[in-house]
Amino acid sequence: MNIPVNIFMWVMAFLPIAVLLVLMIKFQWGATEAAPIGLLITIITGIFFYKADLTLIAAESAKAIWNALIILLIVWTAILMYQVGDEAKAFLVIRNGMRKLLPNELLLVLAMGWIFESFLQGITGFGVPVAVGAPLLIGIGVQPMWAVIIPLFGQAWGNTFGTLGAAWDSLAMSAGLAVGSAEYISTAAWTAIFIWIWNVIGGIAVCWFYGKGKAVKKGLLAVIVMAVIQGGGELLLVYVNTTISCFVPATISLIVILLLGRSKLYREEWSIEDSPIMNRKFTAQGGDEAPKDMTLVQAFVPYFLLSIITLVVLVVSPINAFLGQFKIGFAFPETATGYGYVNAASECFSPLAIFTHASMFLFVSSIIGLVFYKKHGWIREGGVKRVFVKSISMTMPSGIAVIGLVIMSKIMDGTGQTVVLANGIADVLGIAYVVFAPFVGLLGTFMTGSNMSSNILFGGFQQTTANLLGVNSSVVLGAQSAGGAIGSAVSPSKIILGTTTANILGSEGKVLKKIMSITIPATILIGIIVFALVGL
Amino acid sequence: MEQKGFFQTKAGGLTIAFIVIMIAFAMILAGLNTGMQALCTVGFIAIVIAMLYSPVKVYIYDRLKQKK
Repeated sequence: MNIPVNIFMWVMAFLPIAVLLVLMIKFQWGATEAAPIGLLITIITGIFFYKADLTLIAAESAKAIWNALIILLIVWTAILMYQVGDEAKAFLVIRNGMRKLLPNELLLVLAMGWIFESFLQGITGFGVPVAVGAPLLIGIGVQPMWAVIIPLFGQAWGNTFGTLGAAWDSLAMSAGLAVGSAEYISTAAWTAIFIWIWNVIGGIAVCWFYGKGKAVKKGLLAVIVMAVIQGGGELLLVYVNTTISCFVPATISLIVILLLGRSKLYREEWSIEDSPIMNRKFTAQGGDEAPKDMTLVQAFVPYFLLSIITLVVLVVSPINAFLGQFKIGFAFPETATGYGYVNAASECFSPLAIFTHASMFLFVSSIIGLVFYKKHGWIREGGVKRVFVKSISMTMPSGIAVIGLVIMSKIMDGTGQTVVLANGIADVLGIAYVVFAPFVGLLGTFMTGSNMSSNILFGGFQQTTANLLGVNSSVVLGAQSAGGAIGSAVSPSKIILGTTTANILGSEGKVLKKIMSITIPATILIGIIVFALVGL
Repeated sequence: MEQKGFFQTKAGGLTIAFIVIMIAFAMILAGLNTGMQALCTVGFIAIVIAMLYSPVKVYIYDRLKQKK
């Protein structure tokens, strides 16, 4: 690669991201409008400054559309699952039932916005917790914008070791860590420690949003207990098995929070009447419309099915091996820029294992759930058609934004702009770079919408940079993946999943602005800790 | 009030844009695998046009319409 790494080239590479941020945050544009502008700038910088030809740009665009389609399958099926529950009015039953189990409204918000999302992130990931969590929170009376923000916080900690450790495996692969080696275990432990910090911050942030200091005081014990189970449990389990190190503590925390609701501190009805995140008008209405004969367990049937199907398919090896052999993918030729930046040819690019993909679990759970609800008479006439029509028309607008964002990141990656961005930071900052190591991870997830992609994109780079600087690479790699996990809360393609199911499409900028006020200081904190550990 | 058809709404327009992108995706794949660069170019231009539908409609077309 002969791309000159200088300030001009760095600024050109950063320009699309800067424009995207300014349009979304400053001018409050929705992602559907902002993403195409960012994409247009990426294409211009790619062709004129990074010497890419149209074939390369077209090939990267096609790869991105394929990747976006895989994401959109999850979006559509997650929305389908939501529409099934909505049509049967199961969310009203869930709201009423969870209220009885958790009379403390703050604990209810924590359970439905953080703990349930953690559980979903442990098994499915790919934005499902955000897409599914937002309507659930609206169902218990949370305002739509906050119903998107809270799950984004709730799911973020589970991004590295969640989805049965997919993002962690990518980090180990891209950094060349041999499974079970001392460096592998040390890196996993540092990653879990940094994620634990974020886990605590996320829990406290949700309390703060609900009712500032008063809510933090009330919810602190619950946050500590949950964070010890989730963050502490994950840290312990990475020494045993990284695949289940998020899922197991996330499941335990789901059980424990229900038990906590019976404890002396949380068993009484408690709420902050003027909570800025609650829609009191909504809370006061709609209860009578809930089907009288539907129990809480019956309302949760699609979610129970989702958990069982996912676990069986992903954990039972013979079933996973059998279903995982059916893959769809496309061949792409080698392409190169004028600077000699090569994108290797691929016989089967990013194959989709359709029967082991999260969208299949969501689809099957939704269909069985639909049949179950219909059999009990909870789906009215014409309801099945309504479910499908609504799910498709809700998916389409977010689809364009997701496609635009993924094409943008793929072109940046394929033309060498991503590498210049990262190299430029390391060259200029020297040892002080380690403070920014989690930001690189965050940037990767921001751009690609995936902690896994961020680790693939930057894992090797972080490892090389740490070695060049002569610092402990395990700590730097841990910061990369933790930053990537935090980045999942600010990733536009994940935010848009929530704004779609919460029916507030176009409000992505407002959501991003709120979330950044917590994620940026948290990332700085982790960066400072990294510097104190390896730089002093 | 007159009821708008689905394809006259923004969601409908975006659905058309999505369909155009899918067709363009197939064109690029065909172009890459047969070596027909023209197919790739046409497909890519179609993607850019479809992607720009939303910002052009919201920030140019609708604003001009409002001014009138």
